[in-house]
Amino acid sequence: MSNGQEFEEQERERTLRRKVFYLTFATLALILGGFLVWNLRILILPIIVGALLAFLFRPVKDSFRVRWLPHELQVLCSFAVIGIVLFFAFNTLRKHIPDEEQKLEFKVRLKYKLNERYRQLVSRSEGKSTTVGPLIEKQVGPLMDKVNQALELNPHERDLFLRYAAGYNGKPPIQSKFVDYFWANQKTGKYVIPEKTPASAAPLTTQTGPASTQPPPAAEGTSLESKLSAWMLAPLIFVFLGFDNGQIRRFFVSLVPNRYFELSLTVLDDLDDAIGRYLRGTLLECFLVGLTLTLGLILLGIPWGIAVAIGVVSGLLNAIPFLGTAIALVIGVGYALIAENIRPLIPGLNPNDLALYVLILVVLVHIIDDVVFQPFVLGSAVNVHPLVVVIAIIGGSLVMGLWGMLFAIPTVVVVKTAVATLFKELKAYRII
Amino acid sequence: MSTRNLVADKLLWETLGRWKRSSLDLDRNQFLKTVPFFDRLSKRQLKTISDIIFERTYDIGELIFEEGQPGAAMFLILDGKVAIEICRETSTTRLAVLEKGAFFGEMALLDDTPRSANARALERTRTLALYRNDLTGLRHRHARTACQIYRSLATMIGDRLRATNELVQLKTPSDTAGLE
Repeated sequence: MSNGQEFEEQERERTLRRKVFYLTFATLALILGGFLVWNLRILILPIIVGALLAFLFRPVKDSFRVRWLPHELQVLCSFAVIGIVLFFAFNTLRKHIPDEEQKLEFKVRLKYKLNERYRQLVSRSEGKSTTVGPLIEKQVGPLMDKVNQALELNPHERDLFLRYAAGYNGKPPIQSKFVDYFWANQKTGKYVIPEKTPASAAPLTTQTGPASTQPPPAAEGTSLESKLSAWMLAPLIFVFLGFDNGQIRRFFVSLVPNRYFELSLTVLDDLDDAIGRYLRGTLLECFLVGLTLTLGLILLGIPWGIAVAIGVVSGLLNAIPFLGTAIALVIGVGYALIAENIRPLIPGLNPNDLALYVLILVVLVHIIDDVVFQPFVLGSAVNVHPLVVVIAIIGGSLVMGLWGMLFAIPTVVVVKTAVATLFKELKAYRII
Repeated sequence: MSTRNLVADKLLWETLGRWKRSSLDLDRNQFLKTVPFFDRLSKRQLKTISDIIFERTYDIGELIFEEGQPGAAMFLILDGKVAIEICRETSTTRLAVLEKGAFFGEMALLDDTPRSANARALERTRTLALYRNDLTGLRHRHARTACQIYRSLATMIGDRLRATNELVQLKTPSDTAGLE
């Protein structure tokens, strides 16, 4: 056998060995990866959130450049800036998040105001026509009963409210007007007389106390502890990815065979660009929606703290198409219904119709978002068909609840962009 | 402090500084300094380049890139030999054989126009690859370094253009005379 043939034979054997090694390694990695993902699934969401935050804040980190400062110090400085901004933002927001007393007060006020408005509506319609009044009572009555049931304070809450009413836990007493609302709520009966239910169903309805629905305290504590420790991972991931100076990318590219080297760099870069533009665009869009809504609510006379809180929540939820606007509407109109002593900054507005104005405002903001913000901020970043959006949101909510809904569209965008970019570049590099 | 002490201190610090880096990094930086593209860069600038550069090893006969593929990176030969070839239906023309210290595929640093030739490793070859978008990113973070590299690239393209012009003049003397 000549030297050339011997060399070729050795190379063939080496190629075979390499294939067997790669196949075995890939199979083992898949099995181990699957096992780890399944057992550590509680960590998936914190890791995603931490990585997403690091990805979103990367331009902030990159823009903080001081030539003579080492990379690690630059990153620390940029983190300090982000941390200070977030601390002040959360601190401001925290002041306007209702505490236990305010939550109880809101519940009482909402129930009272809703019933008051319902009674006004019924009496007004009865005065105008003899048929409309009973029709409203028949259609809206059962709904009002359900709302009343949902807003009903349980015995513990009732006891707590009465304690707060007299001044409890170092807090000033609740305004006497709201205490009157509480007593009025106690007298509110059912609008629709319930039909007699079978005797067997009775014990079921009486057993809906907190003891039957809540999990055992010990199990809840363990679950909460493990969830908390899992979420500790999110800031860690954020910090470590922030310190990364392209090493992770270099590591993954180093694993790619030579044939796909340039292709992998191009695909990674295109993906980074497209997804970054979409996510940062969405974040900016959410911020603009929140800001517009906040300004609108302030103009309608809602106290600025409450307006900011509603604006922040609505802005964040705006990331969920369709549903975000609906939730903003519910929160905004909900507050408008219980708001009192409102003085709109726009002259000529009737404070009694605040709920209607909030409804118009939310619709207006939604239109501005569709017509102005989305085209200018997102442009043609990624277009997803509305049907895909609906299916993704429902699917996301089924799998992971609210988080699933929030991450459904970004996930669809990532997958769509990845597939499109990969196919485009594979064709350009004549691999397929 | 005497001049001798100062020199001794400087030597000591330089030695300590060298120990901080791995020998691989040191080799790479020393190598980069010999490449015309980077010969004007300072040590710190070379370190920046070294951090964004990828090292790839190719086996004998392995293609580094193919004619017609979009260009994404420039390659520097760290070790080994690379042939630049043009393949036609029936024949392959070898345009050049490049050795240690040479670079190729530099037009990819400007845009993704298709490669004009194949690059094939003639022996086991270690290369360093500088990716276009990494260089573009450098424009924002280390503008001076990026500027130096682009300047070297522009100078090199200018030289090639001049050489091409001379070649054209040599090949068609009568036409050029007519024009004059």
